[in-house]
Amino acid sequence: FYVRASYQEGRLDTRMSCLQNAMDEYNKAKNEFNAKATEEEMRLLRFQRRLEEEKGERMVGCSLQDTLHCLLIVGLHKQAEQLYKDFRVPDKRYWWLKLNALAEKEDWEEMEKF
Amino acid sequence: MAAHLSYGRVNLNILREAARKELREFLDKCAGSKAIVWDEYLTGPFGLIAQYSLLKEHEVEKMFTLKPGRLPAADVKNIIFFVRPKLELMDIIADNVASEDKLRTPRDFHVLFVPRRSLLCEQRLKEKGVLGSLINVDEYILDLIPYDGDLLSMESESAFRECYLENDQTSLYHTAKGLMTLQALYGTIPQIFGKGECARHVANMMLRMKREFAGCQTQILPVFDTLLLLDRNVDLLTPLATQLTYEGLIDEIYSINNGYVKLPPEKFAQKKQGEGEKDLPTEPKKLQLNSAEELYAEIRDKNFNAVGAALSKKAKIISAAFEERHNAKTVGEIKQFVSQLPHMQAARTSLANHTSVAELIKDITTSDAFFDNLTVEQEFMTGVDTDKANTYIEDCIARKDPLIKILRLVCMQSVCNNGLKQKVLDFYKREILQTYGFQHILTLNNLEKAGLLKLQTATRNNYPTIRKTLKLWMEDANEQVASHQFYVLQKAEYVPVCRPTSTGQQGENRITLVFFLGGVTYAEIAALRFLSQMEDGGTEYVIATTKLINGTSFIKSLMERLEVPP
Repeated sequence: FYVRASYQEGRLDTRMSCLQNAMDEYNKAKNEFNAKATEEEMRLLRFQRRLEEEKGERMVGCSLQDTLHCLLIVGLHKQAEQLYKDFRVPDKRYWWLKLNALAEKEDWEEMEKF
Repeated sequence: MAAHLSYGRVNLNILREAARKELREFLDKCAGSKAIVWDEYLTGPFGLIAQYSLLKEHEVEKMFTLKPGRLPAADVKNIIFFVRPKLELMDIIADNVASEDKLRTPRDFHVLFVPRRSLLCEQRLKEKGVLGSLINVDEYILDLIPYDGDLLSMESESAFRECYLENDQTSLYHTAKGLMTLQALYGTIPQIFGKGECARHVANMMLRMKREFAGCQTQILPVFDTLLLLDRNVDLLTPLATQLTYEGLIDEIYSINNGYVKLPPEKFAQKKQGEGEKDLPTEPKKLQLNSAEELYAEIRDKNFNAVGAALSKKAKIISAAFEERHNAKTVGEIKQFVSQLPHMQAARTSLANHTSVAELIKDITTSDAFFDNLTVEQEFMTGVDTDKANTYIEDCIARKDPLIKILRLVCMQSVCNNGLKQKVLDFYKREILQTYGFQHILTLNNLEKAGLLKLQTATRNNYPTIRKTLKLWMEDANEQVASHQFYVLQKAEYVPVCRPTSTGQQGENRITLVFFLGGVTYAEIAALRFLSQMEDGGTEYVIATTKLINGTSFIKSLMERLEVPP
């Protein structure tokens, strides 16, 4: 099972290829949901890697929710916004998350803004 | 300690004694002083069979838990490994033995497989080159462990997973073997009924084993009249719902392990009056729960709402009994009173304990979170809006509540709705993956495979129809009387399964052994006990299972653990 293998891979590029394999298998099995989920995971990993290179924040392997949380905490609102749109996160959950993160940071100014 | 086993109609102490005897025989085979190295998982179940004192009588001087690396120093002649037949454990043993061989004086190593030896494991030991240094490789057959006067369990945590997910019938084989052992002690059970695929397998295996042993039939008058084998997947709903009996709630909140529960100590500390202000105990309070405790036997199966009343009633009885001493005039009366004192004092301690436990539980059951959760569960069971994505579940995911709680609710909705619509199912799955991480995709797969999560295939949902026709739901069930709404569900289920046929025994109650393949909850046990007590039922039930479960441990056994690499 490629998904399992992907988690045993420490290196990101080999992990990606494992996931690619998993996706192909899912497509073959006509499991659309899983194929799509795998694809999204790959997109997320790529995004996280880019972020790590650019901003030096370690977040590879986190779930989408945690990634968003991280971004909001360190104040990368633009990136968070982009991620939120890309992955079609339901509004309700995103507001919850944003409020929580901002409250945790005690960033009341940002909170006033929306 | 084992007194509670012999209270019931069937004396389960016989089974325990047989298990003890076998253990003693094995220990005596290895002459000289011994140290036991335990597979940690086994210590709990073993505690129910034999205490340390018994082991000590047989020259067991040290006990360790199985860990990789070197064994702790011990000046003993024999080292015995008590392990489950698992390959990863074999590697540890090999590691232990090899490092030991290099070092000190030679000693005898033994391996005891529980409940059965496996060729695969022995092969592994051979590959590792240590099989030669083992004097004894043996098996200790421990399938059904008596838990209480009417309860047996195999405590094999992954049985459900193996049967329904991995198509592995090993645990069914153990079940059949365990039942054979039981029959050797209690006589052959004349009638066997079953429901479900696995039940059929077990029944077939038993028949085959019976044929193999055809020569040596025991002539014991059968104690059990009927055996009822039930597949867990016949009713997936009950384990998912929160249990509302006293014992069920203790298990839900603090989880009962091998008859013991660990509780936060704060509530118990204040109880000791007159001893001055002692510092608070930091160790969790460990409490043994079984029917040997009179009070517990009385309240364990009650709906929690009724427990308070029962406790205060008991308190009144006890204080009234203590008041008696003022009326005692003659020496004889005083003597009688004094003779009752130990019993009364025990009753008072047990009352104090359970009042504390009940307080602890009440704090939780009266919380909003608990109430909201219960409301949603009941909505699902009554079929309110099971077609749509539930907002409460959505909120829980947004708040990132424990994943198991989410899965439990989603599965419950799926079961109640006979599957979820594609849109709803995908929505939940997406939410879960995005919030808790992609690694849970395998867990979701498992749940789908086990039938806990599924796509609605039929255009109509048949659950409401079933619910109405079988009257599974009592709208205004009197909680004080009915221990749990689910006893009705249980009963409805059994009716088609067990067709009582007249047997030769007159006057006396019939005894049915109900075996749940894949686990049973305390609430279900309570339901069966309730049936046992019904006068017109005429049947008493003894319950056996592969594992005592609740919704949390049930879902957990189906989860796939993947660590995110660093």
